[in-house]
Amino acid sequence: MKVTRRKALTGGAAVAAAAATGVFKPALANSEPIKVGYLPAFTGPSSSTGIGIGRGTELAIKEINDAGGIKGRKIELIMRDTQSDPTKAVNAAAELTRRHKVPVIWGPLNSGESAAVMANIARDKVAHLHPCWVDTLIDIKKYPLAFRSAPSNQQIGGAANHYVVNVLKAKKVAVISDATGYGTASLDAYVPMLKKIGGEVVYSSSVDANNPDLKPELLRMQSGGAQAIMPWSVNAGFLARIINTRADLNWDVPIVGQTTLGSGQTKALLAKPEYWEKVYPNNFRNLCYAADGKLPPHSVEFVERLKKAGIDTSDTLLWWVACGYDGAKLVAEALRDGGTSPTEIAAYWNSKVKGWKGVYGTITFSPENHNGFADTDVIMCQANSLKDGAFKLAPGYV
Amino acid sequence: MIESILSHGVALGAVYALIGITYNVMYASSRVFSFTAGTVGMLGGVLGSVFISTLGMPVIVGFLLTVLAGALLGLIIEFVAARPVLKSLDQHLYVLSTLAVSLILLQLTAIYFSTDAVPFPQVVPIGPGIFDQKFWLPILACVVTVGGLEYLSRNTLIGRAFLAIAEDNYAARALGLPEQGLRMVSFALAGVIGVVTGFAAGQMMFASLANGPLLNFYGFVPVALGGMGSNRGAVIGGLLLGLFQQMANYFFGGVFASVAVFVVFIVVLLARPEGLAGSATARRV
Repeated sequence: MKVTRRKALTGGAAVAAAAATGVFKPALANSEPIKVGYLPAFTGPSSSTGIGIGRGTELAIKEINDAGGIKGRKIELIMRDTQSDPTKAVNAAAELTRRHKVPVIWGPLNSGESAAVMANIARDKVAHLHPCWVDTLIDIKKYPLAFRSAPSNQQIGGAANHYVVNVLKAKKVAVISDATGYGTASLDAYVPMLKKIGGEVVYSSSVDANNPDLKPELLRMQSGGAQAIMPWSVNAGFLARIINTRADLNWDVPIVGQTTLGSGQTKALLAKPEYWEKVYPNNFRNLCYAADGKLPPHSVEFVERLKKAGIDTSDTLLWWVACGYDGAKLVAEALRDGGTSPTEIAAYWNSKVKGWKGVYGTITFSPENHNGFADTDVIMCQANSLKDGAFKLAPGYV
Repeated sequence: MIESILSHGVALGAVYALIGITYNVMYASSRVFSFTAGTVGMLGGVLGSVFISTLGMPVIVGFLLTVLAGALLGLIIEFVAARPVLKSLDQHLYVLSTLAVSLILLQLTAIYFSTDAVPFPQVVPIGPGIFDQKFWLPILACVVTVGGLEYLSRNTLIGRAFLAIAEDNYAARALGLPEQGLRMVSFALAGVIGVVTGFAAGQMMFASLANGPLLNFYGFVPVALGGMGSNRGAVIGGLLLGLFQQMANYFFGGVFASVAVFVVFIVVLLARPEGLAGSATARRV
């Protein structure tokens, strides 16, 4: 073929254009870190959860990078502290998707902030994984690239209801919530679920969380013959008042409900430490001590790794750390085996995450179901058994 | 049930009455309704918990430091929220300025203390039952405060100067009374009453950020019920409010208690707009 001056010029221009538009870039880009957006709340009222989940997330990313990263590329967490503020979470998410062009975001780590950013992340077509429980935070039509690596509120309520009716065999149940959005929504959702599995709801009401005297409410429960109390609130003061009032009435019915029942803040507000007896909050099977006082083998191995990495669990909860670890692992596996574009990441989760055994729980995603957490992994534990960030299984579990 | 209605109702009523008095003490010297009263009350519990439980100070030292902080807060509120708007009182700018200070205090508490309720120490180990500190300490605080204010206004020069300022600001100034100085003292005094309220109610209400808006709101009801500026009216209104709220708690349930309270509040104001202990004033036309 004769190489004319015109052909040479055209070819040269094509080469120059290709270089400018990045056709020659991959060889260089392959050594660049893969950016992953990360939205924890490290300050503000939700920071205790954020710090706990953060420890697991950072450990997982460190392990992956120390082992060579993803096909030779390190993972770079682009972290923005949401400060427990939904407005700041929205701004941070926009910065991650538009300025840093991350293909995937892990977080926010609490429902209030996630609710604020879901639509924005979906609009920017970025793959999204979060551990937030509010049911509406997963919707395959509105947020097709969003996945949940934790239980939904339906699963949390379902596990508590199952424990009360089928394990404790308490048929007459009192359900109380605070008057917040979370409290009333939980009450509305869980009372019908309870009735469906054979529970008789003898009392159900939402009460102002700051009401200093809950004795009238507990007297109503008592006169209705309640055999268990199920409070739905994240307000430690409200929960502590219920527990204190139960003791004042010399009543020993079990109290079964949300994880805050087992928090240090709730414990601090109890009139006497022994009032924490027969209080059973939600927890997760893999991260609870069995009757023999031992964690499941793979959790023991996880705790050893945490110790080796110098990560303390005595001032946090083991399930928060495990949740962070699993979230980061799910992201890294999708980047390694699926690809680095948002659609490839989502396609990997939809098609390949089946019975995925994490430390926190077992996860299965499908194109129709982005709520991946296994029902059987949500259980109840004994509030007064906290040791090194983990609780004992509540009585009745094998 | 009667025992529980009385013990909780009177204790809660005493807390509301004291916050009402906090409003009134500031109002008397400035004609400013400072919506910081409940927030200062909340800080009484928070500071008491920090000094005694967190820093491990003896109860009396923690209490005195809380009182000192209350007086200082009162002075700051006077300087920041009341003084600048007094010239434009007709525009009711104080609503904005005092609410702004209240919000700032709430935010600072959220950032540097906690958004969760925190335990308040038992300062006098008596109880449990109706002799528990959480019931009698707010009542004692109310009795001492009302008695102290009565003594101040009847037997001291400064108390009479307060009355003069409250009665007719312009005439008092014309007589040479130091209006600004008296206003500063009254805000400091209100700050002290506010924090003493929160301290006394600490065991019943915990040291909690959420108490700020709650006390701001429920503490204003006795002022409106009892008549603006009337401390006796605030005590009567506060006690009635506490008792009625407790009765509503028992008879209608916690979810309807607030509704019942405010229905009665509106009915009373429709029947007696000047309040239970207030007197109708003639308006110049």
